[in-house]
Amino acid sequence: MRIAAGVDVGSTQTKAVLIGANGDGVKVLSRSLIDTGANVRKAAEKAFDECCQAAGIAQADVGFVVGTGYGRYNISFGHTQMTEISCHARGAHFLCPGTRTVIDMGGQDAKAIGVGPSGEVLDFVMNDKCAAGTGRFLANAAEVMGIGLDDIGPLSLRATRPVKIATVCTVFVESDILSYLSQGKKPEDIMGGVHLAIAKRTMSLARRVNIEPLVTMTGGVARNIGMVRALETVLGQKIIVTPDAQFMGAVGAALFSLEKLGESFESSVWREHAVSSRD
Amino acid sequence: MAEKPVSEYRGSIHQQQKDLMLDWYQHLDHAAETGDPPTVSMMISGNCVELLEGFGAIPQYPEVNALQLAIRHQSLEPILAAEEMGYAGDNCAYVKADIGCMLKGITPTGGRLPKPTLVLCNFVGCNTYVKWFEHVAAFTGAPLFVLDVPFLRNDTPSQADIDYVVRQLKEVVGQMEELIGRKFDYDRFRQSVAYSSEVEDLWSQIKHLAKNSPSPFDAYFDAITLMGPLYVYRGKREGVEFFRAALNELQQKVKAGEGVYDQERFRVVVEGPPPYPYFRTFRDMFASWKAVAVASTYSTVGGLWEFGFRHDAKNPFESVAMHMLAQNVTNRNYLQRYDQIRRYVQEWNADGVIIHFVKSCRLFSAGQGDMRDYFTKQLGVPTLYIESDLEDPRYFAEAQTKNRIDAFFESLEHAKRTATHAVGA
Amino acid sequence: MTYVTSLPPAQGDYYFMKEFERTFDSLYEGMQDLSFAGVRRWKELHPGAKSVAFFPVYAPVELVHAAGMLPVLLSGAGDRLDIQHADSRFGSFICSIIKTTMEMAMTRHLEPFDGLLFSSICDSARNLCFVIKRNYPQMYVDFLHLPHSTSDSSVEFLEQEYHRIIIELERLGGAPIQPAALRHSIALYNIQRSLVRKLYELRAQSPHLLRAWESYVLIRSGNFMPVEEHIEILKQALDYLPTRPGKKRDAIRVVIEGAFCEQPPLELIRLLENAGCDVVEDDLAIAQRWFTDDVPLSGDAVHALAESYVHRSVYSSVRHDFSKPRWEGLAEKVRSTRAEAVILLIAKFCEPAYFDFVLFKKKVDEMGLPHLLLEFEEKLFTFDRLRTEVETFVESLVFD
Repeated sequence: MRIAAGVDVGSTQTKAVLIGANGDGVKVLSRSLIDTGANVRKAAEKAFDECCQAAGIAQADVGFVVGTGYGRYNISFGHTQMTEISCHARGAHFLCPGTRTVIDMGGQDAKAIGVGPSGEVLDFVMNDKCAAGTGRFLANAAEVMGIGLDDIGPLSLRATRPVKIATVCTVFVESDILSYLSQGKKPEDIMGGVHLAIAKRTMSLARRVNIEPLVTMTGGVARNIGMVRALETVLGQKIIVTPDAQFMGAVGAALFSLEKLGESFESSVWREHAVSSRD
Repeated sequence: MAEKPVSEYRGSIHQQQKDLMLDWYQHLDHAAETGDPPTVSMMISGNCVELLEGFGAIPQYPEVNALQLAIRHQSLEPILAAEEMGYAGDNCAYVKADIGCMLKGITPTGGRLPKPTLVLCNFVGCNTYVKWFEHVAAFTGAPLFVLDVPFLRNDTPSQADIDYVVRQLKEVVGQMEELIGRKFDYDRFRQSVAYSSEVEDLWSQIKHLAKNSPSPFDAYFDAITLMGPLYVYRGKREGVEFFRAALNELQQKVKAGEGVYDQERFRVVVEGPPPYPYFRTFRDMFASWKAVAVASTYSTVGGLWEFGFRHDAKNPFESVAMHMLAQNVTNRNYLQRYDQIRRYVQEWNADGVIIHFVKSCRLFSAGQGDMRDYFTKQLGVPTLYIESDLEDPRYFAEAQTKNRIDAFFESLEHAKRTATHAVGA
Repeated sequence: MTYVTSLPPAQGDYYFMKEFERTFDSLYEGMQDLSFAGVRRWKELHPGAKSVAFFPVYAPVELVHAAGMLPVLLSGAGDRLDIQHADSRFGSFICSIIKTTMEMAMTRHLEPFDGLLFSSICDSARNLCFVIKRNYPQMYVDFLHLPHSTSDSSVEFLEQEYHRIIIELERLGGAPIQPAALRHSIALYNIQRSLVRKLYELRAQSPHLLRAWESYVLIRSGNFMPVEEHIEILKQALDYLPTRPGKKRDAIRVVIEGAFCEQPPLELIRLLENAGCDVVEDDLAIAQRWFTDDVPLSGDAVHALAESYVHRSVYSSVRHDFSKPRWEGLAEKVRSTRAEAVILLIAKFCEPAYFDFVLFKKKVDEMGLPHLLLEFEEKLFTFDRLRTEVETFVESLVFD
């Protein structure tokens, strides 16, 4: 069996995935998830290690490693890098066949990707200079209200009259929430309003690419059922979410990795591994 | 370890260009000292530098000062000074850098800049230009003339448009004559227009060389470097000599099959000004993919000559007016810019379009989302949208920008691979 | 929304006052109506007639009127429209009115209009014109080059530009515009403008008789209805207002400068007044105050309009005119209204306003006049922060 790995070093969390391929086909062997923390290099190594252990596979048996995410140039054991845009598209294509649009909401950025029939990236748009529409916005809102991050989604679903959220600034939304709380607004209505505001903002971003079904959501925020429903409401379409939504980048990286197993290292298509250095 | 791709065009004209620009700054320094020759502050876009020759005057270009500062990583200090004075964070950073320099007595080369004899605002679309020069006039006490050039709101300028500009050009002549106490030398003016015409022809030929594969130069980064003499020396013999040498050198490269990098993997059209404080870093992001710009809109701010327009010495005032009205990118309407880029993609055979949104410049950037929509959805041309600023170093997110560029070329690469497979299978 | 009027009325005038006071509500509703029901009604009453909307700041409405069409000012959509689509065309660092106008176009709110006119006020607005043109090719969308110069050649040029627009309007309407019709339109708008001038004079002299938010509604609502109707409303107002019961109050006389295009929410204007300001001058209704006096009715009408634009007009941040610099104009406003402070009310991302702020501030500082810079967006609907700023400012002036 050929074994390939993908490591996705994000700003908040690092994910690793092992994929195996043999005569029976391709399947995910194991995954791991840890906090990135201050030392990116160590995080990548730890995630990879845990992932191999979870699959019961020695690191040396992994044939090829592709790194992705913002920390992709800091993976000491990686063979090459791909951007997470390419990886999310590829991963979604594999795990959710028929995907034509990916909406990725991560800890600190949000993106929409137009995906072609073989998982290729046709077009993409990113919001990476502002935390509106990202997990950070939700996390801040949750903290202000003293509610656990895992509870805000279900809470938002109970909203009957979601409040109007004025600001797009994740810091200023805190004072808006406090203001609503002091006005006696119900927590579910506030949370509903927050989710709706983010969904609108995300869809506004996403509309810059051609939104075509099937629409798949990836990234950590996909675990928030309230967010998924809010997006579906604004979009007017069903959105697909898999349990591996948060690992989509690593899955895609592993798939690229698998593709390259067996090919010459000097293949002109692949860039040589280049660890970034400041000039 | 493979050699890092050379990300800068090096040739003898690169040095010649530097010398010419330094020479110009030295003349300005001399003018600051002696008051001679007279100088006229102008904007780069649709500039009527030929007119100055009739007075033996030389141009000052606040935009060039601003970008020189940014390239040398010196733009932040004057920008902050301007903001302290009351300019907004969202005002065009070119203006802030220029005004800030006046406040703090900074110049790009360390030499002096003279108080201009005339502040001539060639208003060609950019409303910010008008405000900028109003402020320059207010702070320097120099006389201001706003040359109101009608915006190109239909396909071609009307006769009323042309007449209006010609009348104003002659008003400028009258005003300058009064200011410097010397008559306008009509013959020198005509000769200057003739030189311009020659320079334009050479420049146009250079631009068309990028149609070759590989292109001998990068029509964004290298074109920007070559643009200086185009605005300062266009109406002069030195300009003709320089561009003749440049064309020759580049033609040699074409003959030798030499491109910008050892391999030309991607050809792109670039829209928008560059992030001057990160010029080199930005270029390296494209160089790492061996992506070469074969055309750019920013290199046509001073004038658009690759589609056939030339100044005409037989009708000097009218052709100067035409250039200002219709043959520079800023006075042309937004849809004409779409068309310009489309022609570049098709006729220069490009793989995609890079739209660089700059915070400072709404003329370029307001509506680029629609531009993107036109190219991706209507024409099916792969288009990348990235953001930063042209002058203010605080608005460049290196990792994010590189990420987007990498993702874009990854997808182009994938597209090329699947295309060849289809053909090969 | 209920509006609290200043003080209880005297008994005898109660009924008449109540009726008049009620008009503010309905006028305001008309201004806020994104379905443009008033325009649709007008078109039903005049089958086949067209309506042409114009983006701020100024448009030669007399030309539109003379063509038998209804001119309407596009004023953005405030917080009444969520930006869901326009963001994909216009990105960051662009003022809200550009985006809400685009959003209105993309959500079919501009359907009642047969034409749109833009002009050379700023780079963003100009690009908006052509983006809309590309996306809605079935509409008549045009861009006027209003001159940034005050020479004689500018007048001649503008005359030609107006003739160009006339040809387009004639094509749109299917009928020629008669010179007599144009003179008649100019005469009507002259009346409207002189009534507006009188209202401003009244307000400056006796702010207790006419609050700034009321004059705002009275005057700007005229941008959304036939000028004939508006003239009647203004006449009624001028008849009634001097008799209005109202007590003078101790407030700071302020000039508002900077909100010439994107408009502040009405609540913001009321906030300023409630904090203790009497707005004795402002540039919130420039479209109806563009001319300093009547456009002449003798001679060629198109020439008169063009000449008045160039030589008989107020200063504005959206045009260059150094025959009298704008900061001198501001100084004169302050002097003639005996204002005590200037509030620079600037729309976020409004580049012309940001630039002019520098030189306005310089002038106001030279005059030793206190000033306050307030940035707003048309879509604001919570005002706590702004209220604090304004109250602090007023307190600093009152308790010095």
